Amino acid sequence: MLSIDALREYGADVEDGLTRCFGSEEFYLKLVDMIKEEKSFGLLKEALEQHDLDAAFEAAHALKGVTANLSLTPILNPAMEITEHLRQREEMDYEPLLKEILEQKEKLDNIINE
Amino acid sequence: MLDKVKNEQKRKVLVVDDEIINRMMLGNIVEKNYEVLYAENGQEALDIIRKDGKNISAILLDLMMPVMDGFMLLDTLKEEDLLKETPVIVLTSEVTAEVQSIRMGAVDFIKKPYDNPEVILTRIQRIIELFEDRQLIETVEYDFTGLYTKDFFLEYMSQIDAKDPQSLRDTVAFDVEHFHLIQEIHGKTVADEILSYMGSNIRDFLESHPGIAGRWDADQFYMYVTHLEDTKELEELVERLSNYSPDITVRVHAGIYTAVAQDVEEERKTAAAKSACNTLSNNYTKVIAAYNEKLHEEEVYAEKLINDMDDAMNEKQFKVYMQPKYDVTGEEPKITGAEALVRWQHPELGMVSPGRFIPLFEGNGLVQRLDHYIWEETARIIAGWKEKYRRAIPVSVNVSRIDLYDPEIKTKLLNIIEKYHLEKKDLHLEITESAYAEDMDIALKVIASLQNEGFLIEMDDFGSGFSSLNMLSRMPIDALKFDMQFARTIDTDQKQYHLVESLIGFARMLGVMTIAEGVENKEQYLAMKKAGCNIIQGYYFSKPLAEEEFVHYIEELKEETC
Repeated sequence: MLSIDALREYGADVEDGLTRCFGSEEFYLKLVDMIKEEKSFGLLKEALEQHDLDAAFEAAHALKGVTANLSLTPILNPAMEITEHLRQREEMDYEPLLKEILEQKEKLDNIINE
Repeated sequence: MLDKVKNEQKRKVLVVDDEIINRMMLGNIVEKNYEVLYAENGQEALDIIRKDGKNISAILLDLMMPVMDGFMLLDTLKEEDLLKETPVIVLTSEVTAEVQSIRMGAVDFIKKPYDNPEVILTRIQRIIELFEDRQLIETVEYDFTGLYTKDFFLEYMSQIDAKDPQSLRDTVAFDVEHFHLIQEIHGKTVADEILSYMGSNIRDFLESHPGIAGRWDADQFYMYVTHLEDTKELEELVERLSNYSPDITVRVHAGIYTAVAQDVEEERKTAAAKSACNTLSNNYTKVIAAYNEKLHEEEVYAEKLINDMDDAMNEKQFKVYMQPKYDVTGEEPKITGAEALVRWQHPELGMVSPGRFIPLFEGNGLVQRLDHYIWEETARIIAGWKEKYRRAIPVSVNVSRIDLYDPEIKTKLLNIIEKYHLEKKDLHLEITESAYAEDMDIALKVIASLQNEGFLIEMDDFGSGFSSLNMLSRMPIDALKFDMQFARTIDTDQKQYHLVESLIGFARMLGVMTIAEGVENKEQYLAMKKAGCNIIQGYYFSKPLAEEEFVHYIEELKEETC
């Protein structure tokens, strides 16, 4: 079950996220739950597979925005890092950062689905 | 803009972000103080702003979005001059983007991830206040004629009264006869010069007569001045206003209202002066009229009619009368149809003629309900004849301009046809010429679709307005119905006769029937017939008849012919 405690344990900056929701745990958890449907993860993966750095930047940037607002630090940190590299359209191996993001997403999905 | 300030309802804020989570989170914050509208991308936002921008107090805009991003939206808003209406606050995490968006016309930014909600709300509030204050300051007090705009004029009127409630003052309205024609014939520049000329003369007048002056609705000028003991100087002013140039005829009239009671509202005063002024339209001998008892009584009468309309409709006080139409192309005139006309059998006032109440109905939109009622009554009457005589006499009914804007008009007519088992050709639709002239595209489309459906279209009051023959050839019309003024003068005025004759020739060329109404005597009838008119309606043949009278009329006709 998705709970404030589970999210805190996961590494989310729960207090920060709650502030943005006027302290409503219910509303905050509802928004976190919606991350399941967040399309930027898929878009980022796809864009990187096709080596489309423009599209990858857009997806990473969007992902950073959403996870920052929700204070989902474990996803936010690699998302921020990959966004900065992609902003410069750096030719590098993005696989490790992508893997980190997707693993953290899966971990969160598991908490949500538990 | 003032409405945004006055409005007791919550102000509206538009949140534009493609990420649903961000949208919901920000919306949840903003809705504490505002009504929130949402858009998923720039295009959606643009549609909302184009439609309702005036009522949106602020736009919170994400920059990176698919379809149309925030920069593109800002660009478009700037191009379409919509940024003046509503402030845009951008949502961003990038400093460079902030700078760029402010350069592009955004007024502020909100950082992502979002700050403390209270900070965001305070920020939005501050921006909205700043923006509304600025717009208030920018609202014009004077227009290009040097006179006050409407809001300021009315406001200063009340301030003058508040400072000195004892003195008697006059409200004066000036009106330029057919100003829109001057504008059309001489162009906007000349028309504006005339207005400026009038404005400066009115200001000169105020130097010797304490008061204020304003102008709105193009050529409507107003003064609020210390009571004029005699109107000689005002007459001289009106004369000067008419003397813009020897080459251009500018006819100006003035109406005066002197409020004796102190609690008369400002708008009431200007309206009274205006209605006095209106009594002079087309009057070539008098230039000034005062609001008087008679005008007051007329307004009270009109007011009563307006108040009674609803009951009258519910109690079926409106009666449909039929005026026969005769086909005069053969040797003997033959009845060929009728026009449905309405009378109001008022329980206290007696029979009220449509000339008194139709304009009032048109003013408040009730005419649509009345029209519909008449269509249905007419259909019911025709169905009765059909049953009795095994044949229908087609009847024309009036379709008002406002009906043409009713998306259901065709369905409504078809439902009536079906309900009474009529054929579409049994009901002719009379549409006044001026309906064609205004918003021509819409009118033509609707009328054409009614014609395609099988209804016969008659253009009513033809010749009273401005439709050119060239336009006529492109219009969906089955018959032209001459304005009454043609019948009135055709037997005595040679020029008029020739005009009618050539119009009929033109109509024949287009394959359009011609109808003359208002034919009152034999001379007019013979002249119309000679000119080639197909169908004639008027007192010469018969006055409008009540339902039962019409039945007698038909039966007598049958006996005569038998």
